[in-house]
Amino acid sequence: MDPLGIIYLAFTLLVVLIGFSMLSGFGSGITFDIALFLLSLTAIIILALNWADFIVFPAFTSFLNITFQPARDYTITKKQDAVLKNVAGLYYATGYLSANLFPYIFKMEAGEQESEIKALQAADVWEKIVMSLNIPFKFHVLSSGLDVQGFRDELEGARGYQEFQLARAYESKANETTITEIQRKISVIQARIDKISQGEKPIATVMYLETTAVAVSEKAAIDMLNAQINQLSVAFGSFDVQLNRIVGRELYTLFKFSFSLPPTYEKMTTYFQLEG
Amino acid sequence: MDIQTLILIVCVVISASLITAAASLSAKEVTYAVKLLLLFIALMIDIIGFASRYYLYLLAPLFTQRRRHVVISNEDPYWLSASQDAILRKEGESFVATVYITIPVYRSATEMSDEEKLSFSTQVSRMVGLVRNPARFTTELRVMNKDSYIQRLRDTINVAENEEVELQSKNASQGELSRVRGKLTMWRNMLESLSNSFSFELMSYVAVSADGAKEFEAVSIAQQRARELISGIGSIFGVQPNTVTGNEILRFVEPEFMIPISTVSEQISRGVEKEVI
Repeated sequence: MDPLGIIYLAFTLLVVLIGFSMLSGFGSGITFDIALFLLSLTAIIILALNWADFIVFPAFTSFLNITFQPARDYTITKKQDAVLKNVAGLYYATGYLSANLFPYIFKMEAGEQESEIKALQAADVWEKIVMSLNIPFKFHVLSSGLDVQGFRDELEGARGYQEFQLARAYESKANETTITEIQRKISVIQARIDKISQGEKPIATVMYLETTAVAVSEKAAIDMLNAQINQLSVAFGSFDVQLNRIVGRELYTLFKFSFSLPPTYEKMTTYFQLEG
Repeated sequence: MDIQTLILIVCVVISASLITAAASLSAKEVTYAVKLLLLFIALMIDIIGFASRYYLYLLAPLFTQRRRHVVISNEDPYWLSASQDAILRKEGESFVATVYITIPVYRSATEMSDEEKLSFSTQVSRMVGLVRNPARFTTELRVMNKDSYIQRLRDTINVAENEEVELQSKNASQGELSRVRGKLTMWRNMLESLSNSFSFELMSYVAVSADGAKEFEAVSIAQQRARELISGIGSIFGVQPNTVTGNEILRFVEPEFMIPISTVSEQISRGVEKEVI
């Protein structure tokens, strides 16, 4: 969780705490119970919005039947899972799936046999997917260079923490497996630090799939889009990666990304926290 | 202080004050129903304060418009730059220009050895690692616009039909007639099979953006970033990527270009056929 999120959570929950501390001011009996219920419900809603706003917000807009128009001719559906465009009476529905196929941090994570096998198979798997699908789709890799010094500091912090864990494991005479696991983590972090020392630049990526369906009515376009999303999920399942339908504010963000990208990495990451 | 922080502070202060007021008022002054109403309003404001972090763009229009179809913006999402080589969008006070670059790489995994596959994956990884500022690499499978090809086929069929009529009127030999009829059948079959299914094309491109206080500033920075990417991608793959200009940019932005309108009627009629038959 990022520091800004903690600030928002702390301040708003502080208000609920103030309410709990003043519960006696709401009398006794049924009024006390109602006040207690309202305060508890608020705390639950805030916590739910913090960890699962992509469920809560679409549920809210679906329940109230609210749609949004992000730009001329475009509409975000009440379920917040598709963007509709009306072109001369035809409806184009666009939906997104998160699909982080490769955890790129450096240009190539050398030395790891697993990633080498994955890279070797990638071209074949990709070609099979393209050949098997008969729907239009886009596979996007949004990439950005990271702040080298900041990333190095982060890695050194992580290495320090793992070294502390290792020392504790030695002190408590932990079993061989635990010690080997910690040593492995340290060597992975050290390999990354070495890469930075050699002049390689760390990067961050966000990968997602986009598909568009067309029909003569909104409902038909959305139904067709759902079918296409399912097809994509099945096809890309061969990459052994978790594919999540993008809904809510992240859908709006990706819609905006169709026309302009965020100028910096920091801005890019603020949009993707929960489903990334 | 930015607007989001201000909204959080205002919401927290108002809701805390309302709760304090509701709890402090004596039961003689107001009924318990009023106290609970104040508490409810305070908690709603508190929730709005929290939700404003992610949903500020929706909350303001939602409360001001108070209707089911909430208009966040009624303007076009972008416009083409005067130089025709970027699309522009207004974000707050600044302009964001986005430039598109095509990557002409046409290689198939079936023609590659294991070493070549590994090297290709490494090349892709290197390409993704080229960037300093955010850039989006896209591979798109799109429905081909076969309009002009279908029209050419129709013209050819017309020519062959005229030829057949002419031969018949001249009482040409059976062999001559069979040859023209055979040609006609071949073109007709080709037209039928072509109309029965979609054809797809695969293309790769990169989008890169830059912001600036003025339109031309944003465009020139974006073009500069695009040139850096072009030279990097060119050296990795040994190809010449190009900046997309004019109406061609629409192909990468608008959803209707992913499935051209001319092919939609075909898809719809196939859908109707499936439902009816």
